[in-house]
Parts: sequence; C-alpha cells; structure tokens
Amino acid sequence: VADTVVYLYALVRPGVVPDLSPLRGVSGTAVRLVRDDRLACLVSDVDEDEFGETALRTNLEDLRWLERAAREHDAVVAAAAREMCTAPLRFATVCRDDASVRARLHVLGPQAAAVLDRIDGCDEWGVKLYADPSSPVPVPAGGSVVDEHGATGSGTAYLMQRRRELADRAFAVEQDARAADDVFAVLAESAVAARRHRLQDPQLSGDQRPMLLNGAFLVRRGDADSFRALVHAVAYGRRSIAAVLTGPWAPYSFASTEQDP
Amino acid sequence: VTATLEPTSVRNTATSLVDLLDRLLGTGVVLNGDITLSLSGVDLVTIKLNALISSVREAT
Repeated sequence: VADTVVYLYALVRPGVVPDLSPLRGVSGTAVRLVRDDRLACLVSDVDEDEFGETALRTNLEDLRWLERAAREHDAVVAAAAREMCTAPLRFATVCRDDASVRARLHVLGPQAAAVLDRIDGCDEWGVKLYADPSSPVPVPAGGSVVDEHGATGSGTAYLMQRRRELADRAFAVEQDARAADDVFAVLAESAVAARRHRLQDPQLSGDQRPMLLNGAFLVRRGDADSFRALVHAVAYGRRSIAAVLTGPWAPYSFASTEQDP
Repeated sequence: VTATLEPTSVRNTATSLVDLLDRLLGTGVVLNGDITLSLSGVDLVTIKLNALISSVREAT
C-alpha cells in the first residue's frame, strides 16, 4: 500500500459545514474536513506516489495531468463556495498529515479569518477585453486627411500614406489601452475589490485578438445581475472592444493574506 | 448538516483551462505545506507551463 499525504483545497469557518460525502477531489479521492478552533480546511488523502514532492514536480509539467488536477481541484472549491464562505488555497498545497495541517491552521487563524470576512457573500467574475480587429481603425480628431494634391511623386505619396497608417494604428492601440483602463475603473468602482491578472498569451488561450484586460472582480452575490448589466453597458457598448465575461468563480483572486505575494 | 454539496463536473467542462490556471497558479491563500512547492518554484512551473502549452499547440 502506497503512503498517503494530505492535499488541501480551501479554508472555511469551522462551524456548521455541509455534507461533503458526494464530492470527489483530485484523482477521485473523498473530501473531508480538518478542523482547528478557529479555522477548518477541505482536504483529501492522496497517494504520495502522485502528490509527493518529486512526483508533483514532474506531474505539474504534464499538461494533461495538470488540466485534470486543476479541474478536479476547482470542482471541490466551486462546490464549497456555493454553500459556504470559502477561501481557496494556492493550487498544489500538500501536507504530510493532519497534525501538520492543524499546526498550520493554528498559525494562519487570525489572518485567514480576515480573508474569510472580506470575501463572505461574494463571487468572483472575470472580464476579459480584446481589441476587435474587424472594427475600423479610429481616426484621430483632425488627423488623417488624404490630400491628393499635396504629395508630389508616387514614392513620397506612398511614404506619407504609410506613415499615416502607422500613426493611425498607434493611435488605435493607445485608444484601446485607455478604453480598457476606463472599463476596469468603472467596473472596479461597483465591485468590492478588483485586480488585473497578467494578459494571456494568445498561444495559451488560442484567441488571436490582442488582449487588453484580464480583470477579476469580487462582487456581492446580490449585486451579480447589476454587475453583469454594467459589463454589457460599458464594454459591449464600445465598438472596437470585445468583452468576455466569465464566472461566477470561487473568490480565487481575492483570497490572500497580507503576507501572500 | 445543512446542505449537501453537489459535484460540479458539468460546469467545469465549459471553463477555459487558461482562465482556470490564471486563478489556480497565481492566487489563493499561501499555506506553506510540507510538500508545497516554494513560491519561486510555482513561478518557475508557470513559466515552464507556458512553454509547454505553446509547444503542444504548435504540435497540433
């Protein structure tokens, strides 16, 4: 029989916790609770052969393993977040045994309580903005007027035309960046908290449009409908920008203590 | 017991892996587990992962 280690998903308050028995975690394992006085943690017992330090390093670089584990991890966190205040832990947190988990919960207690208070009653929504390449390049005010008589030789005309095109494109990029900043600011104002994730590499996302914003917003559950309406109003209303709304997510992007990077 | 948690496999099939990894690899409360990778280790994994996914995409 292989040794087992303890895989950790998320922190919850130690009070009344729903029945966890229908849940299946990473690698199909059962999900259970480890409690301290002030804090509890959703965990699974997993094989050290798969989640021990050496195995984990190898497995995290195997895209198929990573995708499966990430989805299984999220399934537990998302199910918990729907029923109770849940602070996700960073992916692939593994401890030796329950005693080790409890010792860490004890140390983390006060900071974790503050995190749980901050995210209580909220979901995370993702808003991704892209420049829409099919939209016409906007022309700067008072700019680009084609003057058929101004240019003399055809070479000069070509160069002037080319220079204007480059200037227009630069202007469009600047406009898009400013529009994304505006959208982020407006949405952030109506959210409990907001942050920007790193822009996604088109090679990773498979979306070739230039990404302008990869935003995450912490929104009270009761405000979800008005937040979505606001996304439509401010983002979908802009011709040159395409918006994608994702969620609701467990509050991953907002579950961090002051010590966390 | 107040409620029963239901599995969420259906919802997750629609979630893009990249959106999920933005959240799983870069966020969340850090509890330094015995086996948990160091933070710089996680960054390293993210970078390697980017290269990995790129190569997978190029190959298909």
